[in-house]
Amino acid sequence: MARLMNKLAAQLTRLVVFLSAILIGMTIASPALAQSANPSGANPKSTAPLTTPAITPKTSVQPYLDRVVKNISEFQLSNGMKFIVLERHNAPVISFRTYVDVGGADEDPGKTGISHFLEHLAFKGTTRIGTQDFAKEKILLDRQDKLWNTLKAAEKLNNPAEVEKLQAEFKTLDTELLNVSKQNEFGQIIERSGGVGLNATTASDATNYFFSFPSNKLELWMSLESDRFLDPVLREFFKEKAVIQEERRMRIDNSPIGKLIEDYLPAAFKVHPYRQPVAGYAKDIDSMDRSDIQAFFKKYYTPNNITISIVGDVNPGEVKTLAETYFGRLKPAAQKVDRTLPVEPTQTETRTVKLSLPSEPIYLEGYHRPALSHPDNAIYEAIASLLSDGRTSRLYKSLVESKKIALTAEGFNGFPGDKFPNLIMFYALSAPGHSVEEIQNGIDAEIQRLKTDPVTQVELDRIKTNARAGLLRSLSSNSGMASALVEYQVKTGTWRNLFNQLDAISAITPADIQRVAKATFKAENKTIGEIVSDRSP
Amino acid sequence: MQNRTSSKFFNAKTLTLMFCFAVIPLILILLAVRPAVASTAKHFDEITFKPLAEIKLPPYEEFKLKNGMTVFLMEDHELPLVSGNLIVRTGSRNEDADRTGLASLTGSVLRSGGTINHPSNPLNELLEQKAASIESGISVNSGNVSFSSLTEDLPQIFDLFAEVIQTPALPQDKIELTKFQTRGSIARRNDQANGILGREFRKLIYGPTSPYARTVEYGTIDRITQADIQSFYQSQFQPENFILGIVGDINPAEMKRAIEAKFGNFKSSTNRSKSVQNAAVRQAQTSGIFFASKPELTQSSIQIGHLGGKVSDRDYPALSVMNDILSGFGGRLFNEVRSRQGLAYSVYASWSPQFDYPGIFVAGGDTKSESTVPFIRGVLKEIDRIRTEPVGQDELQRAKDSVINSFVFNFDDRSKVLSRVMRYEYFGYPKDYLFQYQKAVAATTIRDIQQAAARNLKPSQLVTMVVGNEKAIVPALSTLKQSVKAVDISIKGAK
Repeated sequence: MARLMNKLAAQLTRLVVFLSAILIGMTIASPALAQSANPSGANPKSTAPLTTPAITPKTSVQPYLDRVVKNISEFQLSNGMKFIVLERHNAPVISFRTYVDVGGADEDPGKTGISHFLEHLAFKGTTRIGTQDFAKEKILLDRQDKLWNTLKAAEKLNNPAEVEKLQAEFKTLDTELLNVSKQNEFGQIIERSGGVGLNATTASDATNYFFSFPSNKLELWMSLESDRFLDPVLREFFKEKAVIQEERRMRIDNSPIGKLIEDYLPAAFKVHPYRQPVAGYAKDIDSMDRSDIQAFFKKYYTPNNITISIVGDVNPGEVKTLAETYFGRLKPAAQKVDRTLPVEPTQTETRTVKLSLPSEPIYLEGYHRPALSHPDNAIYEAIASLLSDGRTSRLYKSLVESKKIALTAEGFNGFPGDKFPNLIMFYALSAPGHSVEEIQNGIDAEIQRLKTDPVTQVELDRIKTNARAGLLRSLSSNSGMASALVEYQVKTGTWRNLFNQLDAISAITPADIQRVAKATFKAENKTIGEIVSDRSP
Repeated sequence: MQNRTSSKFFNAKTLTLMFCFAVIPLILILLAVRPAVASTAKHFDEITFKPLAEIKLPPYEEFKLKNGMTVFLMEDHELPLVSGNLIVRTGSRNEDADRTGLASLTGSVLRSGGTINHPSNPLNELLEQKAASIESGISVNSGNVSFSSLTEDLPQIFDLFAEVIQTPALPQDKIELTKFQTRGSIARRNDQANGILGREFRKLIYGPTSPYARTVEYGTIDRITQADIQSFYQSQFQPENFILGIVGDINPAEMKRAIEAKFGNFKSSTNRSKSVQNAAVRQAQTSGIFFASKPELTQSSIQIGHLGGKVSDRDYPALSVMNDILSGFGGRLFNEVRSRQGLAYSVYASWSPQFDYPGIFVAGGDTKSESTVPFIRGVLKEIDRIRTEPVGQDELQRAKDSVINSFVFNFDDRSKVLSRVMRYEYFGYPKDYLFQYQKAVAATTIRDIQQAAARNLKPSQLVTMVVGNEKAIVPALSTLKQSVKAVDISIKGAK
């Protein structure tokens, strides 16, 4: 299962994946599961295209996009919860996505990682799922919470004998609790009913829960997913804390790029909570108790803060009726939550974060840019595409193919999120024998060129065609569409912007790109992150 | 009416509507939005399901060209897109060990180097200008060249696809570029613990020089010449080694004519391929703990396992149910090692067969340095338990239900279906293998699982690979009472 996966991590996975990809097929790093010959899976040997498929004349593709738009409907329950439904009847399956508009950026300092912790606990069941006897379990849970507080107090008083005694008691209680629960029953029900792709992600901007079911299980999804947020029990809290610390060790403490990012973000954002790690600082996770999570859940998991997308073989009328029956049970938010976040002040000079690690060098740099909802978003997307997509992209041609100073060089938007003003990032892996300075100069040359030389019509056409065809290709994935529709809905106000974005891209002129490049790519707007190798030769 | 008990919010809303609008439209609205479905929330175990329609294979056409090439065509007109994939009977196991990396290099330069008529840059521009792609690669036991195109560009893209396969330029500059990237990846291969783990574990199982485990080194990549690549390409890219599949918005008759025109005259070269497919595979190390040191780590990455089997083995369906019992959501390892003991975020055990050579049985995960030994003990205990104790009826049923109820997802996408058909063809499996497998899973009993586990899981042959920080591993690995040997991961020949 899970988890920490802000766009950053996802993007930087691309970097790791890229490394693996050039490691001659022997690499699949982690679970060897990935290497097994799955008799039913998709083609495991095919090489992924380097680039998102491209642009095409508006005329041939547009009718297909228009048809999809006609198959999308939306409604809102009176408690404020929104639904987006896309009918697609090509196979008897449905993909579901529950988007909760809360993430790492909403966390208070000292409580980082709380969204992600809650996401893990949202798999632990309800008062009826995951328990042998809830009445009995409830008494034990309350006792455990009290004992935890007593234990923490004893630790503060520096009373080792008392601490040891309480720890032993705590351990016994934890075992008793495990014996009245049914571990992981919630996920088991989904899997044995034919659910696939069960998972959740937490990012700086949002927490997403998702899986797919055969289409005769629509009502089962309604029941399980509404119960999950109507009647959750945050059981196995302390066990899961240890699991989350292991996840943090794996993704951050024992990963060079993970370490770099954790130091990089607070340098790039001095005030805005995008500076906080989604995984949470180890000491913050350690200090949390169940009531912290409960309070966070109560504050943010309200129907007005949840949007659901459903894509596949469904009847929208039936979806609506069932949604009213099941999700209508959730109580509307009792009070309005103040969601204003501190605004990042304008940066005034280049900032640099340098880590010395026993690994090969990595270079990255980021520039502040506006949020996804800003009218210039399409122009930023075009810039990233021009520099990064495919073998014709400028960074690849220059740094990899021609100068041979980097193994890979790319850029992307929306780091670490894009609901708020964020960063457009560029990164490269230096080739053996080439310095990080060469990389930095190589990237800078390409970025500066955007300001001085207008992009060619050929390049602009390519970006436009690829954007349109990219969206067309994404239509063949129910889960992909569920994810894209709900994200645009929440972050830009309507799912229609997923489609309207193409018009915005079509309207881009060479002058637009120059204007945005000049405004963005300035030394005083840049934060650099570097890993330098301290490996003994 | 069945809607009487619907949520009070809905009723409040309809009341408001009633005061605002005339009655007739309201009735129409009610009729329109309310199909006959239950309006009381039910607990998950009270819901009943209509059966899903029976699964049928989407129709496809299969034929052979005179030169021996096999072709599959499947129509799918949902979107104006066409994709194709050519599977080639080749693999890195066919390369000489002292030129490890040759197959992969060939697979990469086949596309990146452009063709005789369309050199690299023009080919890249042409494709990307049309939002199309052609990609190629060679893995350990197969090669493939694929394309994706909008329907309207299909004739041109298909021509380029045929050129990439039949007249690749394999130019020196693009060979150098790929070698340069390969050298870079060698230099970086010890940066992530899990990269080291998977690579070294396979060497323990298959042996460091086995085609299934050997790795590209500076020495082997430097030795490869353009002539080696040309010769490897010619020996492997023969029409009788080709299986082509095309799926999407096609007219099958037109597509067939285009295939015959573009591939019908492609002749076999006299330079024939050799194959090591039937070479014996024996487990190299059969006991002990192997350790790669990374003093900066706070976590150990661990794999434990031994040589496994093939997909075609009689025991495989039972072993795949066993996989689910061990490693599914709420499976034994997830429940025991992760949720109960809190020892790991990632923990798994899997019988992972291959289609045409023995795969591996592998268990493992990541755990903080101090809990390395408890983690290994916890995993070993579960491996032992599945062999010696019968699984519970409920565990078995859950695992079987999961396979059977999710079966439809094998058919939710036509390109997925076609690629499976082609894979079975390539590896010589029956066309209905997936249905046979499903039937066998459905028939699996508690006794089958225990017998299959006892026959195939061999505790006496388990080897363990650990990447971690030796000083922080307390209790030490030696407390497991097995020999502990250091593995040298230093990169030879670095410049």
